Amino acid sequence: MDLLQILVNGIVLGALYACIAVGFSLVWGVLNVINMLHGSFIILGGYLTFFAWFHLGVDPILALPAVALLLYALGYALQYLFINKVVTSPVLTTLTLTFGLDMILYNLMTVYFTATPRRVTLDMGSADILGVVMPMDRVLGMGLAFFLTGLLYLVMRGSTIGRAIVAVRMDRQAAALMGIRVNNIYAITFGIGALMAGAAGAVFAMVFPVTTNLTGTFLGKAFVICVIGGLGSVPGALVGGIALGVIESFAGFLIGPQHAITLGFVLMLVLLVVKPTGLIGVKGYE
Amino acid sequence: MSEAFLTIQSLQSGYGDVQVLWDISVAVEHGGITCIVGSNGAGKTTLLRTISGLLKPRAGSIKLAGEEIGGLAPDAILTRGIAHVPEGRRLFKGLSVHDNLLLGAYLRRDTPEIESDLNFVYDLFPILKERRRQDATTLSGGEQQMCAIGRGLLSRPKLLMIDELSLGLAPRLVEKLGDALIEINKTGLTILLVEQDVMTAFDIARHAFVIETGRVSMAGTTADLGQNARIREAYMGI
Repeated sequence: MDLLQILVNGIVLGALYACIAVGFSLVWGVLNVINMLHGSFIILGGYLTFFAWFHLGVDPILALPAVALLLYALGYALQYLFINKVVTSPVLTTLTLTFGLDMILYNLMTVYFTATPRRVTLDMGSADILGVVMPMDRVLGMGLAFFLTGLLYLVMRGSTIGRAIVAVRMDRQAAALMGIRVNNIYAITFGIGALMAGAAGAVFAMVFPVTTNLTGTFLGKAFVICVIGGLGSVPGALVGGIALGVIESFAGFLIGPQHAITLGFVLMLVLLVVKPTGLIGVKGYE
Repeated sequence: MSEAFLTIQSLQSGYGDVQVLWDISVAVEHGGITCIVGSNGAGKTTLLRTISGLLKPRAGSIKLAGEEIGGLAPDAILTRGIAHVPEGRRLFKGLSVHDNLLLGAYLRRDTPEIESDLNFVYDLFPILKERRRQDATTLSGGEQQMCAIGRGLLSRPKLLMIDELSLGLAPRLVEKLGDALIEINKTGLTILLVEQDVMTAFDIARHAFVIETGRVSMAGTTADLGQNARIREAYMGI
């Protein structure tokens, strides 16, 4: 296979990875919560998009915003009702809580939706540019992933709510003195994390089959990307996502796809030793 | 003293098992500058944190213009017009000077008025305008204090509380900041200044309360207290 083709495949995959990781990174960076639910949120978003398309005939691009809002509401409620009660505890406590919540969500999905791999088929044909062949649904997925990631970046940088999230991340008491209701911002932040996961799942379902068996894989990827790119920033997740996508794509070609996933984790371990802050260091959340 | 804007009576407060304030009664003159002085650990910061709602009072009352505000959440107290500039400035790292100032106006929705208040702060402290794009935590100590005061002003408060204006700053800078406070006060804003440096506080404020181990030990005009032999010996080293 041609090197350019492998590179483009990697970037397409990387865009989806960035979209998967960015919400996880936000929640981890701002709340100091390692959200074990993230993989299930992605699959839930993917399934809901599939069902809307398959049973109701809703165009997946129209379903995406609705699915994203639904996931936002779910995330907001979970944080407000449960995680906020222990959010200032050590990270192991919140990790255990989200792990427990994930067991519930994961099993409910498996029982009611079954673990059958499902995929929205768009049949958009493929493009052939300079010898690089790319199915149009993947190009669309990449575009959506970049769009969503960019949108989050703009919200974090330029909006009142973005400033409030950074303020809470940096100093929750000083933030309270600004009149910011910290628990509300926590819930909004977790809601945004779930929203990004749901949207990423919707995009994923247009490109690859999704099944509940993948929740752990997605969670692991989000983890690796955050470590590679650096925690707590949209550019970090973007760089980490594309890096992982490209590396997996080349590794798949050179040493076989069965080893590509392992390589991601090996890379994470190397980076943890060599440059623990990731490729892009942390400032505010941007 | 003319009518009191903020009236605190027999206030008790603290952290967990540790009670810090035992019996605090303070009246802050409307439109004036009042200071609270005392040594390290006397309970000055705890008092401000209780007024601004970060801590819940255990007993006693806090009244703003006659309305009981003790125990309200910080955002409710800010809405009623009390802004708190915390000890050590506590600016938000990773955000520009401009964004830090805007966070002061977080609860406000009157955009054009916010813009004019921003300009007021930039006129008061021109250096902040020059550095508006810079990360606020990279400013010098004095500039950070200006930014923290500006951030407090952007909530358009009726009462501005400042914890340790002079902390870690050169005397010349403290004097400059003191002049700025007097300037702000002339626009009608009531100021409550908490200071460890009694000389500085007495230069700026008209009324003073001395706190010792969680109780008010003395109160009066700064002119009178400045002549008091015990205060001169204990706090001014004269």
